[in-house]
Amino acid sequence: MIDYAIKKSAQLFITVFGVVTLVFFTLRLIPGDAASAMAGDTISGEALDLMREQMGLNEPLMSQYFGYLRDLVMLDLGQTITTRLPIAEMIGNAIPVTLSIALLTILLTVVISIPLGTVAAYMAHKGRTRLDNLLTGFAMLVDLMPSFWTALVFLLLFSLTLGWFPASGMVTLDDPAMFLSRIALPVLVLSVTQIATMARITRTSVLEILSEDYVRTARAMGWSEFRVLFRHALKNAALPIATVIGLSFGNLLNGTVIVEFIFTIPGIGNLLINGINSRDYQLVQTLIVFYALLFVSINFITDLVYRALDPRVSF
Amino acid sequence: MANETVDTAARRPRPPALALPTEGLWANRKVQVALMILVPILALTALAPLLPLQAPLETNLRAIMQPPSIDHPFGTDRMGRDVLARTLAGVKVSLLVGFSVATIALIAGMILGTLAGFFGGLIDRVVMTVVDIFLAFPSLLLAIGLVAIVGTGLIPVIAAIAMADVPRFIRLQRSQVLSLRSRPFIDAARTVRASKGWMMTRHIIPNTVAPMLVAGSIASANAILVEASLSFLGLGIMPPAPSLGNIIRDGQTYLQEAWWISTLPGVVILLIAFALHFLSDGAREELDPRARK
Amino acid sequence: MTYQSDLAPTLLEVRGLRTEFDTRAGTVTAVDGVSFTIEKGERVAIVGESGSGKSAMAMSLLRLLAHPGRVAGGQVLLDGRDLASLSERALNAIRGREVGTVFQDPMSSLDPVMKVSRQMVEPIMRNLGLSREAARAEAIRWLDKVGIPDPEGRIDAYPFEMSGGMRQRVMIAMALSCRPRLVIADEPTTALDVTIQAQIVEMLKDLTAEAGAAMMFITHDLGLVARFAHKVAVMYAGRIVEFGPVDAIFAAPQHPYTQSLLRTIPSVDATKDTRLPQIPGIPPDMRHKPEGCAFRARCAVATARCALEAPELTARAGDLAAACWVEGGLRAAPQALEPRRRVAAPLDDTRVTVEINNLVKHFEGRGFLARNRRAVRAVNGVSLRVRKGETLGIVGESGCGKSTVARLLLGLDQPTSGEIFIDGLAQMVFQDPFSSFNPKMTIARIIEEPLAVQNWGDRASRAARIEQLITQVGLEPAHLVRYPSQLSGGQRQRVAIARALALNPSVVVADEPTSALDVSVRAQIINLLADLKADLGISFVFISHDLLTVRYISDRIAVMYLGEVVEYGPAEDVFDRPMHPYTRALIDAVPIPDPRLEAARTNAPLRGDLPSPLDLPVGCAFASRCPMATAMCRTDKPRLKKYRQSQEAACHYAK
Repeated sequence: MIDYAIKKSAQLFITVFGVVTLVFFTLRLIPGDAASAMAGDTISGEALDLMREQMGLNEPLMSQYFGYLRDLVMLDLGQTITTRLPIAEMIGNAIPVTLSIALLTILLTVVISIPLGTVAAYMAHKGRTRLDNLLTGFAMLVDLMPSFWTALVFLLLFSLTLGWFPASGMVTLDDPAMFLSRIALPVLVLSVTQIATMARITRTSVLEILSEDYVRTARAMGWSEFRVLFRHALKNAALPIATVIGLSFGNLLNGTVIVEFIFTIPGIGNLLINGINSRDYQLVQTLIVFYALLFVSINFITDLVYRALDPRVSF
Repeated sequence: MANETVDTAARRPRPPALALPTEGLWANRKVQVALMILVPILALTALAPLLPLQAPLETNLRAIMQPPSIDHPFGTDRMGRDVLARTLAGVKVSLLVGFSVATIALIAGMILGTLAGFFGGLIDRVVMTVVDIFLAFPSLLLAIGLVAIVGTGLIPVIAAIAMADVPRFIRLQRSQVLSLRSRPFIDAARTVRASKGWMMTRHIIPNTVAPMLVAGSIASANAILVEASLSFLGLGIMPPAPSLGNIIRDGQTYLQEAWWISTLPGVVILLIAFALHFLSDGAREELDPRARK
Repeated sequence: MTYQSDLAPTLLEVRGLRTEFDTRAGTVTAVDGVSFTIEKGERVAIVGESGSGKSAMAMSLLRLLAHPGRVAGGQVLLDGRDLASLSERALNAIRGREVGTVFQDPMSSLDPVMKVSRQMVEPIMRNLGLSREAARAEAIRWLDKVGIPDPEGRIDAYPFEMSGGMRQRVMIAMALSCRPRLVIADEPTTALDVTIQAQIVEMLKDLTAEAGAAMMFITHDLGLVARFAHKVAVMYAGRIVEFGPVDAIFAAPQHPYTQSLLRTIPSVDATKDTRLPQIPGIPPDMRHKPEGCAFRARCAVATARCALEAPELTARAGDLAAACWVEGGLRAAPQALEPRRRVAAPLDDTRVTVEINNLVKHFEGRGFLARNRRAVRAVNGVSLRVRKGETLGIVGESGCGKSTVARLLLGLDQPTSGEIFIDGLAQMVFQDPFSSFNPKMTIARIIEEPLAVQNWGDRASRAARIEQLITQVGLEPAHLVRYPSQLSGGQRQRVAIARALALNPSVVVADEPTSALDVSVRAQIINLLADLKADLGISFVFISHDLLTVRYISDRIAVMYLGEVVEYGPAEDVFDRPMHPYTRALIDAVPIPDPRLEAARTNAPLRGDLPSPLDLPVGCAFASRCPMATAMCRTDKPRLKKYRQSQEAACHYAK
């Protein structure tokens, strides 16, 4: 276990370092440079030079790179180029919003998808294939709905037609009721897809375990099917399912970008899209590194937790 | 002995377990459903110029935001363009993106994954470190980041999505090669002194093709969804060129007044993605009889 | 035998049991009208090959079949109650409580994420109405009874922390802990080594007898049955073809299948001059079951009637019942003597084909921490010679290093130290022919591969060579266009042999070549190998855990234990006068298919498990299990020494 954690941490470090380096140099590879890309046709000549100077673009590439690394380590994320706002503060404000959406989605997903998938697996195991096929087909369909489209359909139905949720309004944590009502629809949109995914995965894992020999042993000892399903099958399926929940975080991050954009919610996703549209490379670069870091760390933690919980992995 | 021969000669021959099971494929229900969806969509897209529809870019300001009717089955948009014609043009883009991305990812994944898995050592470590770096980004975010750098339009979008998919295919191919490498038939080839090249071309690669094609089918569906998402965010195919994503984006503003502009093209994306997944599911069932439960 | 069946009333009566599987190819009748009875306290063995329906039948009794299997008809009367018509709920009260079950694979039959205590204690609490503490004490008592050392501590272990033999003991403790009146044991020893198998069988017999429980023991190994069964039912293609007391079945079997099966088992003292009697053909494919008697295609006395009607079980002499139209079975026809085995020219003692000197193979562990880097010491200084035209048999239990030696011989692994000399080319026949073939290649290409790799001849001469090879192993050129999945197990192993012969090797290494095959097909392959040896004059290294087969086919035998050769010598000598206590224990553990001889054997089975190859003892590797071990054995390692003319042993007390 310790061996494994050491090895994995080393890998993680290399990956993160690679991400930072890749992002930095790729941005410098753009034809022209960040300043001229930003300036477009409006600024030229001396003004552009001044801008380059301010952005530190006139320094040698390697010293820019090391400077960037030093700033990252010191958590000095600098300012946005366009609005001159401190990036660290912007991200700090946006994170709670995005994480609230993500965590609520995971909660809703787990509560609904695991019982659903377990029941579906049970039906498949008993050979009730028609009902099972219908459910799995439906789950696949829902799973594949593009989230921006689902978001629009939900917006049309629940907000514009039925008026259950506000389509706009301030999003701040200071007003929890308003906050919840504003993020309810985004959470719902993301959950629909996640529930479909997780229910399918739960079904597959549980179904596989139901045909294991030890399930038959439990039945032979006189335990009811219901008890065997929830004591043995689900307990054994729990580890792979937990891992998938961790890994599905990436999809969730993809999804938050879209729903934040559609429902105009000030999370990191929206920050990113705005950054790209306003060609604010400093901001985009920082956000992309941030996303990668978040994603990789969650995968790392998931992996370690899995290994810590599985009695078969020795310490 | 002779008896054994006669007895089994009468047994119904089964298709080989891992070879491409073309016969079983057509008989598979999921494959049939997938084709029932894909074939009409493909036919409509190919025949779009022959259909009695407005050209995708032709505006008609006297018939703006018309609800679906016989003349305009998907209605018209704010400039009086025919949404069905635009959708079909968008499907063409989608299919092009899906096919190109899957092809690029398959070829690059096969080559690099095979090299990394078969030879191990330094090649493996270098390739897998780069793969890990790319896999550190959630896929859509990587595509967004790449598009932000290389710009918008069809080719950059294909390139960006493929870049995000290639590492996944490398990893899949590598793990396949690794597991094949420890199969007894590789040992059997080694006992007759087969060279590495021989083992790779005769034993390893032929056994990886079918699962890679299955993965390719899923990758093309995902690429179609990612392209639509990028275009929807205004980072993919730019208007007026139609793409399913930007048609839906166009309709977003008029969701209440003209619901058809956004919703109907979305149904088409969903159907395509669904069919491609069903296709790969069915193919996998035929490849691996254990998956059929 | 003190057992008296006429005094004991019936415990279980099965009447016309039918089990069907709904598959894509249609309905398969796996169990086709099976009827038998088990008296109280009686041990009944159900014997059959894979596909005979024996396990499906056993699982049908308690409706433990997984979808798509289902009980399609018949009655299962336990004390007069029909289990087949009980509700799931009512049946749950019988499962575990009145009927305990032991399954085949101990590695997968216990829940991997639950401690043994949880898996054992809760059923005891429920079924016997005990408190948690009392149930736990009861569970510990059972673990102690089944021979788990330190049961108080081990009860809180997870299954993965135990060896296969230990897990099977836990399974047995579980099955017996709720004091059932009937124990169903489904191939409980198949996955285990021969010495462990002997311990488990002995224990099951003693414990059920002590508890007064009846037992139904399912096995493919007819030899095992003689040791403990009161009655035997032989199943073939979903039906019982013969049923009766064990003595009668072994002394005077009535059904041609039972008769042939008993003859195919090589015996400990039989002559090696004749070919092994073999049953022609392969068991029928249950998806396309033939009309009439299912065995007729392989039966020497089949008549026209056998093709039309399937015979029912009818009473025969000696309390037996057999399902055959021909009274007396094979005895009805004149008994042809087994043809003599083809014998090669006398061995040329001077030429050595394979010489291994002091071979060592350690598999290094990997990791940053020292404790993870201990090496698995698979082979520890093995020296062997194989002369030209000689067959060397290597026997030993799993983990003894015999397969590693094979891999080293073929160059598949590199030795840590030591030398291997091979005069000519070594080729290999693998244990599982299916996985050793590329599924995407036709049989022709599989056999051609060695020739193609070596650029042997042109296309036409290769094609001729392939045809010659395929006929040499008893197949036809028509098989060449097929894929491995289209052949039976026996046919695939023939193809593997043809491939191994393609390059005219000087030695063929066969690693457990028959263990993946059905009992009735094994003799065919053994005879083929014996023929090839005589005809081609090549050397063989035959690796197996099946001692009787090794004795039959080998000229010399090496017995391996924990990476070392502990005894080496001519096959008959090693068997008749073993010098090493381990060899003796191995031979004693082999079941003899004769109940009277079995009853006369008094040797206690070997105790304990194999030590871990991660930390081997300093002295004699066998000392921890040896009945004769002394203090010297634990400190001084005995070397392989010549004791008799040509027999060597590594034991301080060898004579």
